[in-house]
Formats: sequence, structure tokens, C-alpha cells
Amino acid sequence: MKNLKYLVIVLAVIVAAWLLPAFCQLLLPYAYRPPFVIYSCLDSTFIRFESQENKQMRYVDFRGREFSKAEADSLLPLFSYRQLLAEGRLPDSLYGIALTPKLIQQNAFHFKTSPKQLNKPAVGLYTMFESASGNVDLTLPPDVFRLTKDGIEFVDCETNTVNRAKSLSFSRELTKHGFIFPVRLIWGNGSTRKDYDNGFLLTDANDQLFQLKMVKGMPYVRKCENAEIVKWKNVFTLEPANRKLIGLAVSEDNRLFAVRSDATLAEIGIQDTSFVHCTSSFGTLSYNPQEMQITIVGDLLHWTVTLYTATDSRYYAVDADDFHLVAAEVVPDPQEPLSQRLMRWLLPLRLHFTSWQTQMVKPSLNDDF
Amino acid sequence: MLQAIFYKEWLKLRLCWMIALAAHVAVVVYLLLSLRSTLMASGVVEVWATMIGRDVLMVNLLMYLPVITGVAVALCQWLEEMQQKRIRLTLHLPMDYTRTVGAMLGSSLVCLCALFALDAGLLAVVEQLWLPRELVWRTFLTCLPWYMAGLLGYIVTSWCILEPQWSMRCLNGLIGLPLVALCFLTAQPACYTTMLPWLVLLLVAVIWLPFYSVYRFKLGKGL
Repeated sequence: MKNLKYLVIVLAVIVAAWLLPAFCQLLLPYAYRPPFVIYSCLDSTFIRFESQENKQMRYVDFRGREFSKAEADSLLPLFSYRQLLAEGRLPDSLYGIALTPKLIQQNAFHFKTSPKQLNKPAVGLYTMFESASGNVDLTLPPDVFRLTKDGIEFVDCETNTVNRAKSLSFSRELTKHGFIFPVRLIWGNGSTRKDYDNGFLLTDANDQLFQLKMVKGMPYVRKCENAEIVKWKNVFTLEPANRKLIGLAVSEDNRLFAVRSDATLAEIGIQDTSFVHCTSSFGTLSYNPQEMQITIVGDLLHWTVTLYTATDSRYYAVDADDFHLVAAEVVPDPQEPLSQRLMRWLLPLRLHFTSWQTQMVKPSLNDDF
Repeated sequence: MLQAIFYKEWLKLRLCWMIALAAHVAVVVYLLLSLRSTLMASGVVEVWATMIGRDVLMVNLLMYLPVITGVAVALCQWLEEMQQKRIRLTLHLPMDYTRTVGAMLGSSLVCLCALFALDAGLLAVVEQLWLPRELVWRTFLTCLPWYMAGLLGYIVTSWCILEPQWSMRCLNGLIGLPLVALCFLTAQPACYTTMLPWLVLLLVAVIWLPFYSVYRFKLGKGL
């Protein structure tokens, strides 16, 4: 019994290793928020929007040039078109393309996801919208579906019973297109706040990529053609206003692909290291959805793809049509303040149960990111 | 002898258990009625969509009830024993004190588990009439760390009360309170699935702590 005092000591150490770093973070909070960065198609450079202490915005590029707000707006005609339009400064055309607000608006899209959004327990139930209802607004369907070992199963919300006929119809249609159950990955946007519905992107047991949606109550399946055999890690459905894309897909080796509306795949060239302007080492240039936050701000000509990792921010500009890399910058995060480094030195054992990369609660040692 | 101990514990705690049972059944019935009224008022489709898309489960009222029950049972069970050191009589029974204390702790832990199982069972049985099995299972996984907190709260409170020295009692509280708080780090549904094995390990470890307090009591610490 007297040895139980060692158990008390162990528990005290665990509690101290958890609470002391947490209190230090409360006393000396430090969070680095990288600035918003967007690619200028006119100047072929990235422009950073840095908020200053006096709440004023500073516009600079990576070469150190500083711009006024009006200059920055002029350099970003597709991003600041509403401001330029209000001031009567929107150019009539850009690189031979006649600019109209509608055209700019239709080709603008935004995508953002973080490890925390992905690393969470899935409910296992999905909402299949009617993609061709003829109505402008999407309405919630009367059922949801779940994935089973050998098909998909629709459950009627009102009766909480399986709709066998609909389940069989959708499962058969998938099988007819070469889909091999069970479903390995699935992603759909369950929100009704969107212009239209692209359904779901899903992969089968053999890692083949498919699109599934409901058109006039019937299943609509398309197999995404790709010359390469790729193992998929994540898929995301998109519904951009120009309807040029179905979604994005990330391979096991962290390559990012765009799934075009004709169900073809195009690799987004963010791994082309020849473009990167950075002297420090940054490891491999790839997108790992489980560890990095991604934002994509797309316009008529380019996409600005930003990856936030635990140690740096990576900015890429890719062509909006064929996704080849146009420019890239890797910016290491600034060195932590002395207080943070001192805290790490004074508290060599730091126990965490939550993390910015996951919603799951689990213990991790000295994983401060 | 063990039967006599169980009977004594029943006599001592029956009112406490009745109140706990009434409180748990009342909260679970309220939650179920509230879910039913939301389903009727807002529509099943909308409620399902909210529960699936927005990580809402409508059981948050249950969050702190198990830990309050655990702490209350420990207070009712041990405070009386520690007043004027009455526990000395119990420890002088012709039986090893670890068996005596183990029977007292064990009986309460079994009753707490039964109470929590009744909660979870009642929720699951009724919810599955209105909700798909995935949401019922998700509700159970969400409530599980709260039930663990109930057991941890009972053990940690027992550990503190049975400790004979006030200084050590405070220290035990400082260690025990964060251990219970480990069960409330997030209210996001089903996010404790990776933590549950660690909580079980913690439960197995801390269950020995009240015995250490009684051991110190027997050594005459704090007298």
C-alpha cells in the first residue's frame, strides 16, 4: 500500500505536465496569424495584406515594394473589381478578355479546409440533394443515406426505415459503372446555401474516383478518368459558379488534383520546385490535408493556393485553365518570442490533449503545434 | 460480513440513490421529450440535417449530471464516516480493511454504473425510434466520457475525503480535479473515441487512491 505514493507522484507529474504549459500559454499568449496573400496577374507577384497595429492595412509584395490601397486595387483587378467598378477604374479588358462584373463574379471561387475540419469523427450519414429540381433554391430531401459493405442505403427521415427500392437503384447504378463496394472515401457539401449541387465524389475499394448525384430522382454516376493509377487520400466536392469543376482530390502521395466538370483529372502543379523563391529548407512541396490548412482563391486567370503548415506558409499561383504553376513563395513563420522558447526550456515535458490539427481528444507529448 | 457491509451502505445511501435516480430519469425524460417536441415542431428532415451537418445532439444538459452524482454519492458515503473518525469502527471489523473499503467503494461504483447504464439505455431505446442508428451511437459515444467523469468524480472525492491530513487533502484535490476535467475538454460529439482507452487506464489507476488514503488513516496520519 505504501508504494501507492508513487502512483500519486505519477498522477501529479501528468497533471503538472498538462496544466503548467497551458497556464503559461494563458499568461503569455502567442499566435502567429499569417497575412492574406493573393497573386497579382498584372504585376506577376504576390501581394500581402498585412494588418498593422493601428488597424491600417499595408500592401506589400515579397520583394519589399509597398503599395497604397489604390495601387493594390489596380494590381488586383479581378479581386478588387467591386472597388474599381465603384471608382470607375475597372479595365475594359485584361489580356484580351473583355471584363464584365458578371464574368469576374462567375469565375471567382473560394475553397478552404483545415486538418481540424477533416480529422473528426464522421457521422456516416449523407444528404443527397436533387440536382435538377428546376428550382433556384435547394431543398432538403426527405431521406439521408448511409454506406454499407455492399451498397448505399437510403433511410427515410419520417419513418426511420430503409427505402429499399431507392437504395437498390443507386447501388446498382454505381455497380453498373464499375464501382466496387465498399465506398472508401466520400465527400459532399450538405449545405443548402449553394447555387447548385454537384453531389458526391467517392472512391471505391479499388481507389477509382466517381461522381454520384441525383438527377430527377434517379442516380447519375460518372467515373473520373485518369491515366495514372492513383491512391486517393481525400476528396472534396466544389460548386463554383462557372461550373468548370466538380471538386478536388488529394492522392496518397499528397498531390493535388482538380476534377473538371467533364470528369477528367488535372494535377495542380504545386510540386514544381523550380518556381519556389525561398532560401530556407521547406521539405517537400505537397499538400497533406491531415497536417496543413489550405485556402484557394480563384479568379478568371489564376488560383492563389495557400498552404499553412506548422512551420511556414506556402503560396502558389497556378493557371486557372491548365493549373500549371506560375509563381510560388515559401515563407517561414517568424521565430517565436523569447517567452515561448523559455517556456519550452523550463518545461521539457509538455502534455497536450487537444491540437489545432484535430478535433479528437488524445494525449500527445511536446507536440506544441 | 460482505452482505452486512452492503446492507449498511444501502441503509446509509438509499435516500441519496433515490434522489440520484429521480434526477437522472427526470433529465433523460426531459431530453427525450425536448427532442420529440423539436422533431414535431421543426420537422424530422430539418432536425436530422442539423444533427448530421452541424454536430448537434441535444444531450448537453446531461453533461455534468454524472459527475455531480458521483461527487454527491462520495460525499454522502464518506463524510459521515470521517466525522469524529467513525470509520475506525469499520476498519476494526474482523476483515482485511482493503476488502471492507473495497466492498464499500465497489458497491457504489456498481450502482453508479447501473445508473449510467439506465441513462444511456433509456436514451438509446427511445432515440432509436426517431433517429438512425448512427446518431444514437454518436449520442452514446458523446455521453461516455461524461459517465467516465462520474466514476472519476466519485473516486477522486472519496480519495480526498478519506485522506486524514488537511494539507494532503488539498493536494489530492489539486491533482484530482484536473483528472476529472480531462473528461470535459470538448463538447464536440464523439471526439473522445481516441481518448477512451486512456480514460479507462486512468480509472483503473485512480481506483487505488482511496485505499492509499485509508492506509494513511490507519497509520495514524493527521490524528
